[in-house]
Amino acid sequence: MTLKLGRHEFPDDATLMMAIVNRTPDSFYDKGRTWAEDRAFDRVAQVVDEGAEIVDIGGIKAAPGAEIDVAEERRRVVQFVARVRAAHPGLVISVDTWRAEVGRAVCAEGADVLNDAWGGADPALVDAAAEFDAGLVCTHTGSVTPRTRPFRIEYADVVAAAITDTTAYAERAVAAGVDPRGILIDPAHDFGKNTVQSLEVTRRLAEMVATGWPVLVSLSNKDFVGETLDLPVGERLIGTLAATAVCALAGARVYRVHEVVETRQVVDMVASIAGRRPPRRAVRGLA
Amino acid sequence: MTRAVLVPSALVLLPEYAGLVDPVPELRSACRAAVAGLVADGPPVVGVLAAPARRDNVARGVASPAGHRIAHHLLEEVGWSGELTEPAAGVPLLVTGNGTACRTEKAPGHLDPRAVGFDAALGAALVTGDVAALRALDARLAEELWCHDVPAFTRLAEVLAPGPPAEVHYDADPFGVQYWVLTWP
Repeated sequence: MTLKLGRHEFPDDATLMMAIVNRTPDSFYDKGRTWAEDRAFDRVAQVVDEGAEIVDIGGIKAAPGAEIDVAEERRRVVQFVARVRAAHPGLVISVDTWRAEVGRAVCAEGADVLNDAWGGADPALVDAAAEFDAGLVCTHTGSVTPRTRPFRIEYADVVAAAITDTTAYAERAVAAGVDPRGILIDPAHDFGKNTVQSLEVTRRLAEMVATGWPVLVSLSNKDFVGETLDLPVGERLIGTLAATAVCALAGARVYRVHEVVETRQVVDMVASIAGRRPPRRAVRGLA
Repeated sequence: MTRAVLVPSALVLLPEYAGLVDPVPELRSACRAAVAGLVADGPPVVGVLAAPARRDNVARGVASPAGHRIAHHLLEEVGWSGELTEPAAGVPLLVTGNGTACRTEKAPGHLDPRAVGFDAALGAALVTGDVAALRALDARLAEELWCHDVPAFTRLAEVLAPGPPAEVHYDADPFGVQYWVLTWP
């Protein structure tokens, strides 16, 4: 399906890198490295240089921690979105928020996508996306409360649940007036899932792709990689890229990542293996 | 009026093997220009001369000669449609063939010091229309140097009408393979 993310359109076969930009002092991977606004701004320039089509700006870490109220979340992201918009007119700006009020404020400053990592916890978020003609990421969390860790969550069929919930969310968004071309579904690895469940979602990602909704995957350095390989944060890139390759083969369209260059190489390589992308330059055996 | 055109029999010219970036833009544009000139008058038929499919490829199930596919593709690309035939008097002729593939260490057939001399002699024979030299090509040496187009060149010697020397539009070995694009006016 053709993607239309805010004011930006992408052809059917395009795969997109969504680079994570944290405006947080405490996110699990970078631990506040881009907490200072100028550092976050530099990070945006860097990932644009590296070829990211999308930045995903977040003001609240996913894990539990100090409560960040709406006013503080707004302080962290709204003006920053305006600054990025002005500096990078061609860039797709996504904001990682579950709150409709924040969604409305960032869209007013030029955000193109609302990445609802918490699966519709605020039912009015779809209205914010519709009002500003923004895209929306519909994630599956098993209906957990935002910023909670999964605890003894079980599914009869985790993939069926992810498909049912994300497509229902997508349809609810369409009914609210969100342009269907701007909707992505995301199985949300680690969110409301243990490692075995995240692995199963990875293994069966093609079933999500078969829904026809474009699929976003957010795998980068997550705990399911760490637990699978028994590696701490900081040593999970190779495992992340292996999972990325599997999702790419299944046909995921958008990759939410910390490492843009490495992910792009993996996704392009897999797309070429799958026969969806010609090699960059082919001479071997053909001269 | 062009009597005949020579382009390489390199698979890199075929769209089914194309990458995102063309590794041979100059070669391709020389091929296109030469082929466009060959059919500028809109002839109903074009003669095609290519070596038969390589035996190893036939064994792998590919019986269609690469040269025929390349000729067909280039003609299609310049907007010509008509009938492809055997070479015949008065019919524009498109020949596919190239020199050796052993000109450098990185060449497909690795470096063979005999390649440069072989190509120099072959190139001169083609450009001057020296049919005696083309007929006398050492087929065995050519095979050893990974030049598989001798059948096309010896047949060319039989059908190339006498005339002035060929114009050389491309003469290079970008991958250690000797390519020419020639037009015989």
